[in-house]
Amino acid sequence: MTAAAQQHVLPGADAFRLRAGNFSILVLRLLDGRPEVVLPALGDQFRRAPGFLRFAPIAIGLDDLNLTPAEVDFPGLVAGLRALDIVPMGVVGGSPALRQAAAAAGLSALRPSGAEKEIEPAPAPVEAAPPIPGPDFRGTGRTAMIVTQPVRSGSRIYAEGADLIITATVNAGAEVIADGNIHVYGALRGRAVAGAADNPEARVFALNFDPELIAIAGFYAVREGLSAAPIGRTVMVRLDGESLRFEKL
Amino acid sequence: MAQVITVTSGKGGVGKTTSSAAFATGLAQRGKRTVVIDFDVGLRNLDLIMGVERRVVFDIINVITGEAKLNQALIKDKRVDGLYILPASQTRDKDALTHEGVGKIIEELAKDFDYILCDSPAGIERGALHALYHADQAIVVTNPEVSSVRDSDRILGVIQSRSKRAEEKREPVKQHLLLTRYDPVRVERGEMLKLEDVLEILAIPLLGVIPESESVLKASNSGNPVILDNESTAGQAYADAVARFLGEDRPQRFLEVEKKKGLFGRLFGGRAA
Repeated sequence: MTAAAQQHVLPGADAFRLRAGNFSILVLRLLDGRPEVVLPALGDQFRRAPGFLRFAPIAIGLDDLNLTPAEVDFPGLVAGLRALDIVPMGVVGGSPALRQAAAAAGLSALRPSGAEKEIEPAPAPVEAAPPIPGPDFRGTGRTAMIVTQPVRSGSRIYAEGADLIITATVNAGAEVIADGNIHVYGALRGRAVAGAADNPEARVFALNFDPELIAIAGFYAVREGLSAAPIGRTVMVRLDGESLRFEKL
Repeated sequence: MAQVITVTSGKGGVGKTTSSAAFATGLAQRGKRTVVIDFDVGLRNLDLIMGVERRVVFDIINVITGEAKLNQALIKDKRVDGLYILPASQTRDKDALTHEGVGKIIEELAKDFDYILCDSPAGIERGALHALYHADQAIVVTNPEVSSVRDSDRILGVIQSRSKRAEEKREPVKQHLLLTRYDPVRVERGEMLKLEDVLEILAIPLLGVIPESESVLKASNSGNPVILDNESTAGQAYADAVARFLGEDRPQRFLEVEKKKGLFGRLFGGRAA
């Protein structure tokens, strides 16, 4: 995907857009709460693997620490890690009291979205970490957002992390966005942005295809460039390499 | 329970004030106690169309600021019983409208009237938002042209999301389409959108189609709501729309080109009066 294409997908709208993103992040599982023990050991590791951790964002894993908050010097750890050019982003696991102490030092509690992977050369844990209580959006069954009203000019609908199914028309001047596929069981006259979270597999389906703009994973086409597309027909749009393909259904 | 009806369109010049005046008059003619409020503060027009411009003493802003009582500002129509006009201020702007002030006025009027018509200014800014906030029903005035339809579509979305009913998650505002300035000749020539096209895009129930008619301008200039002109097609179409609004079943008229035009009509090619 090109940066320029991305920029032009939705011109002149807002200064920013909030999007969910999934990132892999290193977890530094602490076995000791004392900076004076952890930091020199890290320094050793750092010298053995140059650049491995430099400016890397890390989460501090607390599951192996069986300590009270008073025994863990979070501010000292944060300062020491930063001195080693390591950027602590937050903490994972641990007791609520520990997480609270971490929060006081500016480390928010992170929620793992999948199975936590062991990063070499971290020592093997004695047992698997228990799941952290709290909201978990996996398995809620939300795979599609369904809209039954016409999407009117000026309105914007975003199906975050899901498909978007619309059983009415998307009017000119409206914008429908989905991280997954977009289905329009009506006329699509506005803008449709599928695979917004960079999913090139996403597709757009429309019963009556008449859009202002179509984009999949940042690759887009405006109406002017759609003269060859089957306007007014039932169409599926998919991404083929770097170009959009329009197929009559 | 008083019903608050907002007459709105997004776009300017499509016939909101003409329609507000006609509709309010029509409701009063049918025995409903009706008040029509001009929300176009700074561009006061409703009083002209209603022919009461020489009787304006106080206006809605005076009431909001407490300089006048509501019944001092209300102007009673001399032609139709039970019809009142609350004029806008010409010397102030829309910033003088406040949320609480408008709310209090609506609340007070609701005790006394069956229908409160809010004649919205154009646009989707403050004035229009005040006019639609309290709506129970909305009459969206649209011309059969692309820009008007798009703006109506926009205002429908605003009504859905910004009205008090939407905020309180109550039953949504009931929306009606009033298609005005419809000229079957130009529709046939493809210069105007067809009724079906407009309905397909906006997807709300049709209240009525008001044909393009010279009598509308005449009525406006003379300060007589066009619905009082029984001879004109526009006046009849407004009367039909009011009847439909009150639950009567009336077929749509004036959608087709007049076929049986006399020699006189053909010679002069005049439009329907």
